[in-house]
Amino acid sequence: MNSALEKQLNLLDYALASLWRRRLKNSSVLVVFTAVIFLVASFHLVTTALTETAGAVLRQTPEIVIQKMSAGRQEAIPVAYGEQLSRLFGIKKIVPRVWGYYFDEPFQANYTVLGVDPAAMPMGEHLVQTLLAGAWPGSAANQAVVGGAIRELLALSVAPPTVEDDFPDHSLFALHRPDRSLKLLSTVGVFRDETALLTADLIAMSLADARDLFQIPADLATDLCVYVHNPAEITNLARKIAAILPDTRVLTRPQIEQTYRVVFGWRSGFAAVCLLAALAAFVILAWDKASGLSPEERREIAILKILGWETADLLLVRCWEALIVALLAFVAGCTLAWLHVVFFEAALFRPVLVGWSVIHPPFALTPRIEVKDLLLLFVLTVLPYLAATVIPTWRGAVVPAEDALNG
Amino acid sequence: MRPAMILALLLGLLLLVDALLIGISLERRRQWREARPLLEITVAALGLTDLAVATEARYTRHPAVSDSLAPFMDHPGAIDHFPTGSFWAPPPAFRRSP
Repeated sequence: MNSALEKQLNLLDYALASLWRRRLKNSSVLVVFTAVIFLVASFHLVTTALTETAGAVLRQTPEIVIQKMSAGRQEAIPVAYGEQLSRLFGIKKIVPRVWGYYFDEPFQANYTVLGVDPAAMPMGEHLVQTLLAGAWPGSAANQAVVGGAIRELLALSVAPPTVEDDFPDHSLFALHRPDRSLKLLSTVGVFRDETALLTADLIAMSLADARDLFQIPADLATDLCVYVHNPAEITNLARKIAAILPDTRVLTRPQIEQTYRVVFGWRSGFAAVCLLAALAAFVILAWDKASGLSPEERREIAILKILGWETADLLLVRCWEALIVALLAFVAGCTLAWLHVVFFEAALFRPVLVGWSVIHPPFALTPRIEVKDLLLLFVLTVLPYLAATVIPTWRGAVVPAEDALNG
Repeated sequence: MRPAMILALLLGLLLLVDALLIGISLERRRQWREARPLLEITVAALGLTDLAVATEARYTRHPAVSDSLAPFMDHPGAIDHFPTGSFWAPPPAFRRSP
């Protein structure tokens, strides 16, 4: 065998034996190091998966959304605002929507109620494909399509063709209007589970039913969706709309996409906690290593030098030791993080990610594994550890062996 | 068996597990790509702007279209009391000039 390779293998054997001699200390370092990498990698995988999912599905979001603002808050917008924009060249159509939140006191759950006319929306004719059962509400009043999580929570079934055949009718549920009167709704459709990430808490109905539920006058809407002929003109048109309607907030599709590139970032408080924990662990580890070698380690280095080892060999042994610990921790930490996110649906982060939400979709996240992410993680975690291990050894190895042995 | 060989076996075993997990990941991503057209129809036909990940507060249910400032939202001095507020970073400050 090549003598250089044989030398490296011998050094590796020596490094492994050395690690085994101090197995209690090294295994505790390995466990802490693995935990730090697991924490950082888990957070990175969850946020990457959510950002990627949002980026992929929100490409079809409305091109421009107009909201009326008053005293720093959003309020209902007059539908007539759309007519003021009719002179703007480039607008294809303006669609009013009514949406809001409904807090269900018995279940302590928040629903998102959405009233929209799909016939006026892009791809509206394909909406039936997103339903597991039933159909989109027809012309009859008091009909709704609910998300899978709401159907489970309220134990709803889809309305049978003839209501008389099925009593009690499990498709019916009631919501309170603001004046506490009841609005009875019939479940005529349920969204498919594949769309749960968007529809878990959704109750969709006609515009008229949503207005009736929230008691919003017919000349008002929650916001206006604007669709344009040329997507390259979105920002231009948004600027013009903001000038014509100064009391509105104008949001564009690129801004909505940009929001989701940022909200799951490292700037959130929880991310800061993860990073601080990792940083604290590294600082303690580096402090321990950089504060100098133990007398036993100094003695070992001195004996090896007397036996004829060169400084370069000593550094190589320490390099191998650090590399073995770091590599094992890195591979184990990343593997555990992937298992945590994919098979356990990020169980450790879920209490913070969903908070007190009663309704939330299953976290069937499948993060994309990219070499650049692994390299970044490797550089952030393994290299500092290597440096913190090798530098003190170099400082110890350049001391004459007699001095080291004499203490 | 020399120690270096034991280490190589251990690392090989871990990488084998990783290869298996990558295989599962690829299969799941294929399923996700199949479901994507449904999600796109849902977003387009209902005009959705946000993911239904957290449903407890409006600024985490609809971060893209709700008021961006969570603290002091309800009254002066009101701090953010929803747990999700600590996970979700505030949206970028672009809303004043489109």
